[in-house]
Amino acid sequence: MHDGGSSDIDELLQDNPALWRGCDMAGQGTTGRSTGFTQLDAILPGRGWPEKGLMEVVTPHWGMGELQLLIPLMRSVVEQGKWILWISPPYLLYAPALVQAGINTEQVLVVKLDTSCKDALWSMEKALQTENCGLVLAWQNWLPTKVLRRLQLAADTGDTLGVLFKHHDSEHSPSPIRLKIGDSYSENAGFNESEVTVIKARGNFRSLSANINLYQQA
Amino acid sequence: MKDPDSEAQLPLPSLARESGAQVIKLPASPNTVTANRPTANKASRRTPARRIRPNKLWYALFLPQLTNLAPSQQKKYLNQLAGHMQSVSSNVSFHPQALACEVRSGLKYFGGIDTIHQKLKKLLEEQLRQWDLDDNFLYAASPTISGSLLLARSGHNALVYRKENLRSALGQLPTDVLHLDREQGRRLHNMGVRYLGDIWRLPSDGVRKRFGSKFVDQLDKALGKAPEPTCNYVPPPAFITSYDLPYELENLDRVLPIVDELLAQLCDFLRRRDLSTSHLILSLLHEKRDSTAVSIGLRQASRSQQHLMLLLETHFSQLSIPAPIIAIKIEVIKFDSFIAESNSLLKEAVPRLSRRNDSSLVQFMEQLQARLGNNHIKFVRSVAQHCPEHASAQLDYSDESNRRNSIGKVKKVSNNPRPLWLLQDPVLLHINKGRLFYRKPIAILSGPERIETHWWSGADVCRDYYVARESSGSRLWIYQEKGSVKKWYLHGIFA
Repeated sequence: MHDGGSSDIDELLQDNPALWRGCDMAGQGTTGRSTGFTQLDAILPGRGWPEKGLMEVVTPHWGMGELQLLIPLMRSVVEQGKWILWISPPYLLYAPALVQAGINTEQVLVVKLDTSCKDALWSMEKALQTENCGLVLAWQNWLPTKVLRRLQLAADTGDTLGVLFKHHDSEHSPSPIRLKIGDSYSENAGFNESEVTVIKARGNFRSLSANINLYQQA
Repeated sequence: MKDPDSEAQLPLPSLARESGAQVIKLPASPNTVTANRPTANKASRRTPARRIRPNKLWYALFLPQLTNLAPSQQKKYLNQLAGHMQSVSSNVSFHPQALACEVRSGLKYFGGIDTIHQKLKKLLEEQLRQWDLDDNFLYAASPTISGSLLLARSGHNALVYRKENLRSALGQLPTDVLHLDREQGRRLHNMGVRYLGDIWRLPSDGVRKRFGSKFVDQLDKALGKAPEPTCNYVPPPAFITSYDLPYELENLDRVLPIVDELLAQLCDFLRRRDLSTSHLILSLLHEKRDSTAVSIGLRQASRSQQHLMLLLETHFSQLSIPAPIIAIKIEVIKFDSFIAESNSLLKEAVPRLSRRNDSSLVQFMEQLQARLGNNHIKFVRSVAQHCPEHASAQLDYSDESNRRNSIGKVKKVSNNPRPLWLLQDPVLLHINKGRLFYRKPIAILSGPERIETHWWSGADVCRDYYVARESSGSRLWIYQEKGSVKKWYLHGIFA
C-alpha cells in the first residue's frame, strides 16, 4: 500500500514538466534520439542522444565497443537519408560489417588516416555545418578548448551530431556530453557487459553509469 | 583553277557584292506565297535589276579519301576541317564527305577566290597529312551548294560565278556525280542518259515519276531553282578571360574580388548558352615566372558563381604564390550541358531528403575534395569475396564509374560476425603460458569459421577465424593459419 502510494506520487511528479527534480534529471523531456540501449537511455538527459552538438567518447584504447554503442544511431541517421563521415579512423573501415549492421555503405564517406590534423579538423567543421551529414565521427586525441568550442558551434549551426573519440578525458571540455566506456568486469554476465559512464551530460548533475551488453549482434 | 565561263571571271560590279546585304531574312508572314523561296526571288520583287545577280558563292570541297572511314570518324574529321574553314567563312555547311562554305561575302577581303583557295589548301593539306590521309581534295565553287558539290565530285575543280552559267557547266557532268544507287544508275544508262544535260532534255514530269522527287529536287537545287537547306557548323564554345591588374598584388585575399568579377562573366556566358562547366583553370600570372595554375574539377557540372567562388577560396587558402600577381586568367576546359533541377508542381508532403539537399552535399564534397585532394576521401563498398581482406573495397571519391557500378547491387555478406575495424596487416599474436596474448590475455568466444580461398592464385588462404575477447573488454577477430605453421593473428576489432 505504502509502495503503491509513493509510485503514484512519482508518476504525478514525473508527468509535470514544470517541476524540476534534482534526483531525476535523466527523465526530463523526451527530446533525445534513442540510443538503442534501454539502460543508457535511462541515464541520459532527454532519454537518448542529443539531436545536435558535440559528444566525446573516452576509451582507454580504440575498439572497446565505442562503435557498437553508436550503431543504432548510425542506422537511424542513414535511414533519414543523411551521410556519415568518418574522419581519420585508426583502422580500415570494414564494409561487410556495416552491411551486417544495416548501414547503407553508399552514405558513408571516409577521410583517410594520413590526413593532417588541420585538414581533418577543417573537414570536421565543414561537415558539421552541412545539414546532410547526420553524423561526423572523428578520432582526435587531444584538442584545445578553443577548437572544441568552434566545433560545437558548427554542430549547432548544421544540426548535426559530432562524435570525438579520445583516450583521455579532460575535465574542462566544453562538449555537452562525455561518455566513458570501461572494462567489462561483471563476471556473472559472462564478461558480456561493458560499463558505460556518462561523465557529463548537459542536464545531468552527476555522472551515472550503466552496464550494457554492447555486442548484441556479435 | 579551271574556269568554264571566262566572262564570269571579270571583276564583279560593286552592286553584286553589296548584294550580300540582301541575305537578311525577314520573318515569313503567312500570307506571303514566296515565304520559303530563295532570297533571290524576294529581292527580285524589290529591285528587278538584281535578279540576275548571283548573291552567294559556295566553295565546296570533296574528300573521297574519307569514304572508307567509319561515319563517326568522318564526322570527327569533317568537324575539324570545318574549324579550319571558319578562317575564311562564317558559314560552313556539312555534307557527305564534303564541306561547303560561303565565300562571296569574303571575296573582297581576301582578294579573290584564288587567295581563299590557297589559304584553305595549305591548312587542309597540313591537317590531312597529320591524319595520314591522302592530302588531295577536290574542290569547286558555284552559286549553289549542290552545284558546287556536283562540280567538285566530278573532279573539274571548276569555278562558276553566275547562276545562269550553272546549267551549261553542270550539263557537261557525267551522271555518276549524282551518286545514284545502282538501280537508278542502270535505268538512266538504259535510257541513253550519260550527262546531266541529257536529264534536263527529258520531260520533267516523267523524270519525277520514274526517279522520284528527291532526284529532281537535287538537280533543281543545283540550278538554284529550289531552296537548299544547310547543315551549319557551330564552333564549340570557348571561354578565356583575363584581367591585368593595375599594380602587382601579393595578397590573395585582395585578388578575390577580381576573381569574383571574372566568375560573374563566366557564369553569364554559361547562362546565355545554357551550359555549365565541370573543369576550369584559373591562372595567376607572375612577371618573369611561370604562372600559378589552380585547376578546379567539379564532380557535378555547375554554373553557380557562389559555388565556384567557394571552391576557389578553398584552393586559395592553401595556395602559396612564388611572386606577386600581375594578371589573372580564367579558362574553361570542359563544358557540359546544363541540367536543371526539376521541382514538383505540388508540394510533396514528405520531400525526399536525399534529393532535396543533394546539391548542398555535392558542394560540400567538392569543397572537401578541393582541400584534401582526391585520394584522401574514400567510399567503402563490400565486395563479394570470401577472402576477408578483399571483401571490402575503398574507392576514390573521384572514381565515379566504379562507384556507379557498385550502386544498387545486391550485396550478400557472410552471416558470420565481421568486425568494423580491419587491420591493414594482421598482427601476430604470441602465446604465453598456453594463453593467447595481444595487449592482455585473450579468450576465445566463438568459432571457428573456416575460410579457405585463393588456392588457385598461389597466395593460398586457409584460416580458422574466431571471435575472441581481450580481458580489457574489446572484441577481437583472430585467426589461426592452417597448414604447417599454426600461428595466430589478429585481423580485426569489433569496436
